[in-house]
Amino acid sequence: MRGSGNIFRIVFNAVVFLLLETAALVMLSHNGRMQGIWISRGVHAVQAFLWGGAEDIRDYFSLRKQNRELAEENFRLRNTIREYGYLTGVNLQTDSVPEVIGGFRYILADAVKISNNKQHNYLIIDKGSEDGVEERSGIIAPNGVIGIVDAVGKHFSYARSFKNSGMVVSARIGRDGPVGEIMWDGMTPDGAVLREIPHHIPVHQGDTVYTSGYSSIFPPDIPMGITGEASVVNGSTYNIDVRLFADFGSVRYVTVVNNIDNREISVLETGEVGDEE
Amino acid sequence: MYLLLVLIQILVCNFINTGPYLLLSLLPVFVLCLPLNVPAVVLMFIAAVSGLAVDWLSEGIIGLNFLALVPVAFIRNRMVVLLFGKDHAERTENFSIRKNGFTRVSAAILICQSVFLLIYIVADGAGTRPFVFNLVRFAVSLVCGYLISLPVFNMLTSGGK
Repeated sequence: MRGSGNIFRIVFNAVVFLLLETAALVMLSHNGRMQGIWISRGVHAVQAFLWGGAEDIRDYFSLRKQNRELAEENFRLRNTIREYGYLTGVNLQTDSVPEVIGGFRYILADAVKISNNKQHNYLIIDKGSEDGVEERSGIIAPNGVIGIVDAVGKHFSYARSFKNSGMVVSARIGRDGPVGEIMWDGMTPDGAVLREIPHHIPVHQGDTVYTSGYSSIFPPDIPMGITGEASVVNGSTYNIDVRLFADFGSVRYVTVVNNIDNREISVLETGEVGDEE
Repeated sequence: MYLLLVLIQILVCNFINTGPYLLLSLLPVFVLCLPLNVPAVVLMFIAAVSGLAVDWLSEGIIGLNFLALVPVAFIRNRMVVLLFGKDHAERTENFSIRKNGFTRVSAAILICQSVFLLIYIVADGAGTRPFVFNLVRFAVSLVCGYLISLPVFNMLTSGGK
């Protein structure tokens, strides 16, 4: 009984001590300019440490789910390669990955920070200029477009998320269907709108929407989502609801795609604009 | 009596210019000399109020003495148990150099001064001053603080006999 009283007293003393010291630090940060900067730096360091710790714990407990997803994806890829080898008679080696495929360079990256609850969302990846990331590189996941790189540091890059009210990506219904532009609907976490689909082309619910490849940022045929209801706009085009495959809340591993001909295409585009002017 | 001592500390802060390397504070020894039957929580509040009073009425940054003095009050009772023994602390006898010995009292003063100076100097520098400067300031202040604290301690404890 006496022991528990002692413990209570020690805890109570410690709590009072911490409260008083916190009050002193608050006073100090309001009254000394240098002290204010020093304390806020310390607070940020503690926050970063705690945030990093929480991230590590979250990662640890999501390992099982991620492993299962990776195993499933691996299985699908192996089947695709096997099928491709069977159809073409080519024996493909899966232990070496070519750096450039179809004019795009692929770089694996970790999303170290991602915002999801704003109208203009962003993400930060752990690859930068030293890893070959360039401005206007695309960011994809196995199940969709994630964003476009806006600023590149040495070891990290800042990207606009697809969940950004100003971001538009060229997309196609099916592998060879009509092409339009897709953008986030700005209201739901997995909702998007596919616009500019000509009125005369029949559209079915449940069709898969892929990237069209008519952009210098994203390669073609990345699955993005499934079509939903369509509505006619101005009597000439469809606006089609799309349910996105990508779960932005659990994005962790992403792939940066660099179009190796991007500079040449940009120069040509700039030249064309110059001619028009 | 305690209020008078805090007033002395305010006068020391305001009228004795000791230069950048010397920080003269008697507050730790005042807290050390408070009666042993005062619980740690009350001790911490007394320290907080004294520190705030000195901060407010002298030209320092408000919160600095408060920040440095509360830890001294927090460890005071536990330190007394460790240095002077549990029996002494439980009997709530006031201590003195003659009763408890010069070495133990010196150790208590040095610990209190060290805790106070360490926090004060680090917070005052706010990461902008070189380590060597802080180290020299700490050493000089500790030696001077100890030398001044000894007679103050003797005076305070002999008065309560």
